[in-house]
Amino acid sequence: MKSLAVISMLAAFPMAAQGPFAATYDSARHITLKGAVTRIDWVNPHAFLFLDVREGNGPMTNWAVEFGNPLELERNGWSRTSLHIGDVVTVEGIPAVGGHKVAFAKSVVLTAGNRKIFTPPAKPRAVTNAREPAPRWPDGQIRLGPAPGKKGYWASTTSALVEAGGAPIPMDADGLLAHISDAARVAPFQPWAKALYEYRQRTRLKDDPLARCIPPGGPRQFQIANGFQFVEQRDLGRILVLLGGGDRNWRVIYTDGRKQGEPDEVVRSYYGNSVGRWDGDTLVVDSIGFNEHFWFAKGGLPHTEGLHLVERFTRSDLNTLKYEVTVDDPRTYTRPWKGGWTMEWVPDRELQEYFCEENAESTFIR
Amino acid sequence: MRRRAWPLIVACMWLSIIVPAMAQQGHPLTGTWIGDWGSASGQRTAITLVMNWDGKNVTGLINPGPDSIPLGSVSVDYGSWTVRIDADTKDAAGKPVHISAEGKLEDLGSYHRTLKGTWQQGAAKGDFRLTRD
Repeated sequence: MKSLAVISMLAAFPMAAQGPFAATYDSARHITLKGAVTRIDWVNPHAFLFLDVREGNGPMTNWAVEFGNPLELERNGWSRTSLHIGDVVTVEGIPAVGGHKVAFAKSVVLTAGNRKIFTPPAKPRAVTNAREPAPRWPDGQIRLGPAPGKKGYWASTTSALVEAGGAPIPMDADGLLAHISDAARVAPFQPWAKALYEYRQRTRLKDDPLARCIPPGGPRQFQIANGFQFVEQRDLGRILVLLGGGDRNWRVIYTDGRKQGEPDEVVRSYYGNSVGRWDGDTLVVDSIGFNEHFWFAKGGLPHTEGLHLVERFTRSDLNTLKYEVTVDDPRTYTRPWKGGWTMEWVPDRELQEYFCEENAESTFIR
Repeated sequence: MRRRAWPLIVACMWLSIIVPAMAQQGHPLTGTWIGDWGSASGQRTAITLVMNWDGKNVTGLINPGPDSIPLGSVSVDYGSWTVRIDADTKDAAGKPVHISAEGKLEDLGSYHRTLKGTWQQGAAKGDFRLTRD
């Protein structure tokens, strides 16, 4: 009997996509592809396999199938040699928008043999059953990273930034609203900003700069797949925020006592000019000087160069980091507003190499 | 041929999103716009329009430089992204000339978004097309 060897229910879809999943794949549709493997691209951030598929009695066509992040796949037993050129597989998946011969795999079944070659990748989960205290420096100040001799990083648990205090707003993992009529509840938009936000929502976030590997400034840096890490360089008076996804960039938060610059004097940048200070166990970071080349949160929230953020990071225990942000951009919003969420500690792991440009080089440009 | 087609198609898809990589994502009118106006079959006049959103109004200039014309008012219907521009200048004889233009903003998410519509300068009427530079 032929069939059925491999089933891989892949990790959460947005984890697999650099940009908004909805902008790339049509979740309302399903596709079954059966064919021989012609190529395997085992690259970060998204592994692809290519299949020759005969559609009905028509000609053979070559499909590209995205099937997960290699790092996560390897942790779950899959390797670059799990499939071979010429293997015949059946893919159940979601087709790309626009009729392109591209799909996102929900399962891959090897039709010859009966060999299970990998199991569903599992997202790294935080250890939440033990409320260990947050690690501290010798002077008693909270550490934002691991305790000495330990490893770990932070993972975001949220899909969107919305104004705190309201009823939950249904939306998907990319911040795509279930009901566009909820837009006004997301933030106190000026009319132009609400119209632009709704446009981005209606067009399913297709213009998201992060999908083009543009750096994710503002709260967006804490919403990307693969987490982030703080590196506290106390002797240099600064904290680095290392990003595990996006364009593998970093942000500098100065903690050397300097004052924030004047908005008109700061060179505009993706991460702005950030000055931090400790308020008890909370790191308070004031940032200005943002450019307008990115979306500062999932879902397409607009901003201008007038954006001013005040972020508060409170590590209440080993596994929990509360993130609160006050958004003040009077050119975009009618008043300052607050939002936030909680980050989870991913213990005993380190950020892995991840370049969103890699697929451009290896998969898309040949 | 079949196998060569896929990389080519995806390369085109990729390049189409790489090219506008530095798009301005703030107020859609902010920036420098370049194009022309005139009658469809007649002479076209080049125009450069610089606009900026200050939080309350869109301000700016037509043809920045020694002969620039400050924008009198810019209003936007955000439901349809229809833009109306009014400005006042003088002709070569020093006679006041009013400029009014009304156009529709298209492809909001693109760096090279466009603004197209009708342009009236004094008694002359025509159409205009501007592309964000």
